[in-house]
Amino acid sequence: MPGPLTSLTGANNFFEDFKPGDAFRHARGKTITEMDNVLITNLVMNTAQGHFNEDQMAKGPLKRRIVFGGITASMVIGLAMQDTAENALRELRLDGIRFRSPVFHGDTLYAYTEVVETSESDRPDAGVVRFRHVGLNQDGKVVFEGVRDVLVKRRSHWGDR
Amino acid sequence: MTEDLTTRARFWPKGHAYEDFELGQAFKHHWGRTLNEGDNSLFSSLTLSYNPLYFNAELARDHGHPGIVLNANLVFLTVFGLSVEDLSEAGGLFLGVDGLTFHRDCYPGDTLTARSTVIDMRESESRPDQGIVTWHTEGHNQRGELVVDFHRTNLIARRRRPS
Repeated sequence: MPGPLTSLTGANNFFEDFKPGDAFRHARGKTITEMDNVLITNLVMNTAQGHFNEDQMAKGPLKRRIVFGGITASMVIGLAMQDTAENALRELRLDGIRFRSPVFHGDTLYAYTEVVETSESDRPDAGVVRFRHVGLNQDGKVVFEGVRDVLVKRRSHWGDR
Repeated sequence: MTEDLTTRARFWPKGHAYEDFELGQAFKHHWGRTLNEGDNSLFSSLTLSYNPLYFNAELARDHGHPGIVLNANLVFLTVFGLSVEDLSEAGGLFLGVDGLTFHRDCYPGDTLTARSTVIDMRESESRPDQGIVTWHTEGHNQRGELVVDFHRTNLIARRRRPS
């Protein structure tokens, strides 16, 4: 029986549920608006005005503001997070983060995930899952790729808590 | 009056060009930033970060935390953001990040500071007006503990085109 903690999160995304080669298409996409890009860029103190000065960008080769890559990464990982880290204890590592093409206001992002490997951690109640995430835009073009290690709870230790 | 001001005004530039960097050069970035609960709620909500440790304080306490945990990507992006004026504000695409480690959890009220070292520089074959620079960036909390570190690579505009 799920206890009060476990009843708040999914029952099918514990460490034991992830197997190398598993591939997921996450259910929700998100259209990145000016609100997302300008708000988060300014919130995290990113002073590069290519993300928030439309006048300057309109006069340059891109013709408009570009979405901060850190937001593209956070959004693709976010789109995957319920499925991959709803039962996570913490984020461990990111690697091979690449921005394959620019994202602009109004573009819609979708996330795909593959389980690369699973391994023991330094604690008995959780294991490490290595995910590879791919973010696509509305035209199916790859905008983001990256590998992410997450410390995920084991059902054997957390399932009835 | 205004015309006189705009004529006299001296442009106060920000950022560094490719020629300003050298291997091993170290930067202690400006400002620092205390992340509060509002920052975290906003960021976690907008990015659909549905791990309840980021937005359910009771659940976070039941996991042994003093309260809500800061979203790891908010910590990463804030340390990144503090580094931008010194490293990449003058322009050039953000290409990627490698070897990022989240060393410890952060909580609302923690203050982050950032510093970086230039670890690689090379010419761009396809873009003669830009170079490619890689930095190792570290974020520390108010106790001087390392919370995140990563290698970031950017295209960086050159001040002069190579002759």
